[in-house]
Amino acid sequence: MNGMSARMCVVSAMVLLAFALQSCRKDRPEPPVEEPNAPVDRGVYVINEGNFQWGNASVSHFDAATGEVVEDLYAPANGEALGDVLQSMTLHDGKAYLVVNNSGKVEVVDPATFVSSATITGFASPRYLLPVSSSKAYVSDLQSGSIAVVDLQANSITGSIPCAGWTEMMALVGSEVFVTNQTRRYVYVIDTATDAIVDSIAVSRGGNSLVLDADGALWVACSGGTGTAPALYRIDPVSHNVDATFPLPSSADSPSRLTMNGDGTVLYFLNTDVFRMAITDDALPSVPFVAADGRNFYGLGVDPNSGVVHAADALDFTQRGVVHRYGADGASLGTFYAGRIPSAFIFH
Amino acid sequence: MWSALGTDGRVCGAAAFVRRGIVSSALVMLWFSLHAQTVVDTLRLREVVVVAPRLVGMNVGARSKVVDSTAFARHATADLGTLLTNESSVFIKSYGLGSLATTAFRGGSANHTAVLWNGFNLGSPMNGQLDLSLVPVLAANDVRIEHGGATALWGSGAVGGTIHLNNLPRFDRGPYVEVGASVGSFGDLRQQVSASLGNARWSASVALFHTAARNDFRYVLADNTAERKQENAQLEQRGLLTQVHHQITAQQRVSVGYWYQFSDRGIPPTLQQGRSTAEQRDESHRLTAAWQYSARRSVVHVRSAWFQEGLRWFPFDDTAVDSRSRTAIAEGEWRFRPGRGHLFIMGLNATHAAARSDGYADAPQQLRSALFGAYTYTARSGRWSASASARQERMDQRLVPFTANIGAQVRLMPGAQLKASVSKLYRVPTFNDLYWVPGGVRDLLPESGHGAEVGVALDRTVGRVAVNGEVTTYSRTMDQWIIWLPGPAYWSPQNVMQVWSRGVEAGAEVIVSVGRSKLTFALNTDHVVSTNQRAKSSDDASVDKQLIYTPMYSGRGRIGVQHGRFSATCIAVYTGYRYTSTDTRSFLEPFTVANAWLAYALRTGKRGSLSVDLQCNNLFDARYQVIADRPMPLRHYRIGVRYQFGER
Repeated sequence: MNGMSARMCVVSAMVLLAFALQSCRKDRPEPPVEEPNAPVDRGVYVINEGNFQWGNASVSHFDAATGEVVEDLYAPANGEALGDVLQSMTLHDGKAYLVVNNSGKVEVVDPATFVSSATITGFASPRYLLPVSSSKAYVSDLQSGSIAVVDLQANSITGSIPCAGWTEMMALVGSEVFVTNQTRRYVYVIDTATDAIVDSIAVSRGGNSLVLDADGALWVACSGGTGTAPALYRIDPVSHNVDATFPLPSSADSPSRLTMNGDGTVLYFLNTDVFRMAITDDALPSVPFVAADGRNFYGLGVDPNSGVVHAADALDFTQRGVVHRYGADGASLGTFYAGRIPSAFIFH
Repeated sequence: MWSALGTDGRVCGAAAFVRRGIVSSALVMLWFSLHAQTVVDTLRLREVVVVAPRLVGMNVGARSKVVDSTAFARHATADLGTLLTNESSVFIKSYGLGSLATTAFRGGSANHTAVLWNGFNLGSPMNGQLDLSLVPVLAANDVRIEHGGATALWGSGAVGGTIHLNNLPRFDRGPYVEVGASVGSFGDLRQQVSASLGNARWSASVALFHTAARNDFRYVLADNTAERKQENAQLEQRGLLTQVHHQITAQQRVSVGYWYQFSDRGIPPTLQQGRSTAEQRDESHRLTAAWQYSARRSVVHVRSAWFQEGLRWFPFDDTAVDSRSRTAIAEGEWRFRPGRGHLFIMGLNATHAAARSDGYADAPQQLRSALFGAYTYTARSGRWSASASARQERMDQRLVPFTANIGAQVRLMPGAQLKASVSKLYRVPTFNDLYWVPGGVRDLLPESGHGAEVGVALDRTVGRVAVNGEVTTYSRTMDQWIIWLPGPAYWSPQNVMQVWSRGVEAGAEVIVSVGRSKLTFALNTDHVVSTNQRAKSSDDASVDKQLIYTPMYSGRGRIGVQHGRFSATCIAVYTGYRYTSTDTRSFLEPFTVANAWLAYALRTGKRGSLSVDLQCNNLFDARYQVIADRPMPLRHYRIGVRYQFGER
């Protein structure tokens, strides 16, 4: 070896070493907190859907009075992850029912400790659970083409009500249940006494959420599609007639997460931005209540007592989401972190 | 073998028809080659036959590795994903035994590794990816792994690296027959038969394979938890590969190839999914033809390929979701040697792709054309060489970024080389990115970027000890990186990310020969830092964080002993933390999986050999998941028998 080559060898080795050191990084992440949480008694539960097939659904909790956030209530209390895609949670009779869509199950947990007391299984792709009496509930489904009838005492499925398409959110008015449908142009009406469909109300496709207002009218949000316009509908639940239709200006619009303030006089919904309108308004709002400004709003909820609006930013859907809180006047009240893909809020 | 292919109980009419087609075409090819042999046996050829795959050697200064014959033998009945996991730096994202396997190479995504079969890109035009679990190692007799980006040579997607699968002709080798079968844990049965013939003017080969497995392995998630059984992971694969090369005259050669494959497999549930009845069927026909004319100073290649691929997906009942694509490729290339050490290449590529899917409103089509050129110079002394290449592609009516590559390598001292290269890179959006309804964006930009690498390679033999090693460091930035993000009503691809990937690859192999024994030690380490550099939205916590499913540290160790007819090998692969959230707060634990092979070969007659090999995978019962919630098997075995006759 001549001197020149030796020098080049040394120089190149040093250059390589410098590069190597420069790029070195620690890969060990912070270990997750495994200790159990203290029971929660007031505040808001945040439903974190999680990624499809990643099994990372969770329920967060936020207490506005103390500012305390619990990232996940379920896993620390039960020693295992909740499941795959948490679609919804319903509080009923001192219990919380967690509908875990792609795990095909409903977990029954204590709302304070989140310890599971029962698991209702046998669903295809469950979406929402609606109690229709102290012992009976309906569960809508994405795949099965039916609504499951569940015995809340025995925690088992006792029957099913055939209903074509992807059934979504439901509302009980008197003795009738109104069912939105993502893939049909109807809101279906079920008689809870007979567990049978008794009527269908023509709306747009993409029915995804509904609320009952202070005047007893039912509001339905439809995202549209296959030739039908995205729109809000006001339905008279007694006559089953559509009282008013509020079509959105463009087919690219997609109203969802329709919700209400505490006294049932103001509607809120997502359509990229957060919108609100009084139930007495005769046109849709043209200016957003909160503009998205580059955020990916995915979940929406309004505290019935304080009127605080919670808008969840799911970011890139592959990290924990950020919840933005706004007063009724639109002023920011701060943010907190939730779990993966926060989609809904349950206030208690 | 034919009985193995014919005994499966659930072949539909179409498959049976295709199978008959395979049988007859295989027989025709065999007859053709046998017949031809007797006629042209004695012809003498003046020119040296070029058997090296095209453009190999044009990427001077880049790290590359040829998978050696012992690695091939260890994975003779395996799929390409398994081979790469055990024998290369490519991180394979495996969803389970027999399930989807995609790549992360040098911090790139699955779309950033180009897999080329005889020079043709196998990536689906629909999602730009290739499921490596569907590529049998048998599909090639030469596998090369080229690290780093070289889109100027290999086209869109050759960003993190390129895997070359080649079927090199074997002129002048006579008849060769190989029959193999293996039995493994979880109802894993594999059969293969291949035959080839070669004389001065003909080289013909045909191979058939069949794989069936239940894959109903048991796994445990943690200490003191009940054992669970994997469900709906059964698979069946069968295929045919054939290649015929004919040296028509001293100047002209034609080659044709055909690769048929059918796969039917269950898609197992994730750990959090109650059950799954999903099923996926893949069927592909790949046909290639090439003509080559060699003159004294130049060679002209004209090559074409026709790929037809179908995927039927049964998500939860008998309703199938269909997607089909076909790709037609034509390429002309002129190689010119103006003088000793100089090599100049110019070529034109036209690729037409069309696809149908329930996700597309119409049947989209795409025409891409590319003009490329390359030049290499090798000094007379052999002390240094350099290359430059460039490519301009046009996609439908639009020009995609011009890309280029420059590299050089210098011999520092005998057996030691200093290598360096810089490249400009691109990747065009896939059909799904452009045409998916809803969400596809027709004016999405191609990704573009640049990269550089420097390395030192060593290869020395001192007495009975041979040492080779290489250390490479690289850096690459890709801009306009496409990801799907939610919009008002649906998800949509956007050119939002900028990803900086850098790292160090180090590897060394020591081979000691003592009498009839040979000892091999090899160690490879990979350090990959691949981070998103740009916020996708306000509050995005992923900036400067490692990409998901990209291990920052990984390594492989191999010990091999060969003594006469006996050989034993043990490979241990370490895979470091993989993050499962873009803010790196969720992650999967590191794991090490060790596999061992024992083989014994004995001669039968003058030209035959019979070998038995025993394989033990996951020797130490590692509980691990490559992808979250996708369980992997504990220790499992395979025993195989193989009969070889003739010169390989």
